[in-house]
Amino acid sequence: MKKSILLLLFLLILSSVYAVTQTETIFSEAITSYQEKDYQTALKKFSLIENEGIINADLYYNIGNCYFRINEMGKAILYFKKAIKVRSDHQAARRNLKYAFTFTKDKQNSENESVIRSFWLKTFDSLSINFLAIITLAIFLIIVMLISIMIIHYKNRERTVPLFLTTIFIFLFLAFFIISILKWQEFHNDDEAVLLSTSAIGYSGPGEDFTRVFTIHEGMIFTVERDEDNWSLIKLENGLGGWIKKDTYVKIEL
Amino acid sequence: MKKIIFILSLLLTSQLLLSQEIEVESYVDKTKIGISDRVKYTIEITGEKVGHISTPKFPKIKNFRNLGSSSSSSSNYSIVQGKMTSKITKSFTYTLRPLKIGNFLIPPITIKIKNKSFTTEPIHIKVSEGTTQATPPTSSSFAKQPNSTSNLSDNLFLIAKVNKNNVYEEEPITVEYKLYSRYDISNLAFAGDTNFEGFWKEDIYKPESISFDRETYNGIMYNVMLMQSVALFPTKSGKLKIPSLSLNVDIRTQSHSFFDFGTTKRYNIKNKPTTVKVKPIPQNNKPTSYSNAVGKFKISSNISQTQLNVGDSFTYTITISGTGNLKQFDIPKLKEVNNLRFLDPEITTDINKNKISGKKTIKYLIIAQEKGNFTLSAVPFIFFDTSSGKYKTIQTKPYQLKIGEGDLTFVANSAAQSIVSMEGSDIGFIITAGELKTKNIYYDKFFYWFIWIIILLFIPLSILYSKEKTKLEGNVDYIRQKQANKILKKYMKEASTLAAHDDPDFYAAAQLGLSSYLADKLKEPRGSSTDNIISSISLKNIPKELIDKIKKLFETCDQARFMPGGFSKERIEADFQLVKGTINEITKCKF
Repeated sequence: MKKSILLLLFLLILSSVYAVTQTETIFSEAITSYQEKDYQTALKKFSLIENEGIINADLYYNIGNCYFRINEMGKAILYFKKAIKVRSDHQAARRNLKYAFTFTKDKQNSENESVIRSFWLKTFDSLSINFLAIITLAIFLIIVMLISIMIIHYKNRERTVPLFLTTIFIFLFLAFFIISILKWQEFHNDDEAVLLSTSAIGYSGPGEDFTRVFTIHEGMIFTVERDEDNWSLIKLENGLGGWIKKDTYVKIEL
Repeated sequence: MKKIIFILSLLLTSQLLLSQEIEVESYVDKTKIGISDRVKYTIEITGEKVGHISTPKFPKIKNFRNLGSSSSSSSNYSIVQGKMTSKITKSFTYTLRPLKIGNFLIPPITIKIKNKSFTTEPIHIKVSEGTTQATPPTSSSFAKQPNSTSNLSDNLFLIAKVNKNNVYEEEPITVEYKLYSRYDISNLAFAGDTNFEGFWKEDIYKPESISFDRETYNGIMYNVMLMQSVALFPTKSGKLKIPSLSLNVDIRTQSHSFFDFGTTKRYNIKNKPTTVKVKPIPQNNKPTSYSNAVGKFKISSNISQTQLNVGDSFTYTITISGTGNLKQFDIPKLKEVNNLRFLDPEITTDINKNKISGKKTIKYLIIAQEKGNFTLSAVPFIFFDTSSGKYKTIQTKPYQLKIGEGDLTFVANSAAQSIVSMEGSDIGFIITAGELKTKNIYYDKFFYWFIWIIILLFIPLSILYSKEKTKLEGNVDYIRQKQANKILKKYMKEASTLAAHDDPDFYAAAQLGLSSYLADKLKEPRGSSTDNIISSISLKNIPKELIDKIKKLFETCDQARFMPGGFSKERIEADFQLVKGTINEITKCKF
């Protein structure tokens, strides 16, 4: 009995190791294809790994690069966005996304933000969600320790110093906790979508007989507010809203 | 700039006059006359010291009779930079009467001035029947008033002078538009823009103010003004039309009476259009590295040094000069030499005032990067030679470079350095070494929150702990029990030091320590007698031997206290060991 269990465990480990090495060989094959400028093959191989159910920023980034090379800007933007979604501190993906935006017909991501807002965004983006999770946990641990020490060791009058320290840490904790919540919300927000067809017309209602409101082109990023049959109500970055066909876009979700 | 040129030209003319330049010119007042008309033939001598010249003898001319002569002179003084120059114009006018009908020639006349001969230009005169002029010309031959259209075209016209009529594509031609007039012109204006279709145009000259020169044209003296001068580069082949210039000319009419101040009349004149034949550049056997240059060029090169050290830089200059489309052609390509770094060349194009000739200078800065002997090969330049109608290759001469070992630390000459500029942008390269693991989001994991709960548990635990502590702290016996060990330790320390010195006070210390310890442990009041302690200790679950031992110890101590000095060194030592052993046993017991 014990032997069979051990054997089973061994097989399990072996198979998982094998799977890992297999994806790794596919990955390195894809990279050589990319280096030989065979972007189609590279894309096919990267997609193979993606279909394994692996969620990885670097992988998404590479797929985005492949799509960029074969001039599918919509998909390139989609994958760069995905990479950033997984790891918001992925600077390479951010740079490429910005560059890919210059190839789209519609101008987006207006950079004319205020200094404070851009500073906030920069800090916000440079912190990855897991890093935040660890920091929050560490601060929480420190606070709990401080409180415990105060409870056990200090009498009322002697508590001023630890009390002061605790307050500082509580503020820090709140700040990080709020950022974490925002980050987490952003991560799980799947309302954002990228237009993949070359152009789409936004109507005032779900149907082509409504008034035309706007025309957007491949690579445009917008939020989807609700669906109705084959139509979706979307909201553009500049506040414009309209109904477009559902099959023209893909949501940025993992 | 224009001003400087103006002053320079003035200086030049004055210089010419100083050198006693004499000009002789001849003209008539009209070339088409009737048999009953008269022709005024004028010889004009201009120079510095011509005032004393007497009327030249007029030779006999066939078919004309000399009716007499008159002379006049005018002086023109000018002061340039404090120097005064005078220019005297002496004109001799002969009145000639035609004798026959037909086309005649006034032959060139030779005039000798100061042992120098001057010959005038021959003039054609057409004599027809009757008279061409209703009224005889008024006093002067200029400032006439146009009275008929036929007359107008003779006395006011625009001519386009083209320097070449048969050119190749891209071969420049120059066109001069000149206004000839014998009227008193009060104002001039261009009537609309001229569109040079099929040409690349470069302006050479455009007048800024109205100013006339005197010039004879077909034997008649006119007031002449250069209206426009352009260089044209044909951009296609075929028969290309050179567009005509259109001018609005205001002519002042002569006053007839004292109260008539004269009126101005506007005339629109255009020159006759001309065409230029443009041949295409032959496409067959066109060299591959043809530079698109058309014209006639020369090439020269220059190098700043041929012996240098690693890290040094030198300049290599190629100059292409000549006539043609200097602005349009491609610069010759340099054959790159390994170990020499060529920086981007500095190209300057200097075009002469005539817009069709000039030079192009290509200046390379080259940095030597390795020692050795290198050859800077000859640079070929292929252009289409318009005079021969063939492609022509000219080249620079090759240079031998000797590069010696310089400072081993390669320091780029600061003049050769340049700020790195962006040459292009692209997406970043793919990530080749990535961990292919699905990244977990800690916030979504149970384990992460489990740690939070565990940490949070510290608070109730510490509260419980502190509560327990305060509860115990309120209990006196608990404190005494806790403190018992401390007291025992204190006394035993004292006792051990005393024992080491064989001091009999050791017994007192040992007894006090032991009794207080036991009292605390047994919750007896402090300072209870040894008997009390013994009796209460026997109630506890403590082995009988130990109780006997304690009893014995107390007795020994009592004895020692009343018999100071009665104990030997060995005895004290043995008793100390006994006390230690007993205490060890006691602390192990549970009370």
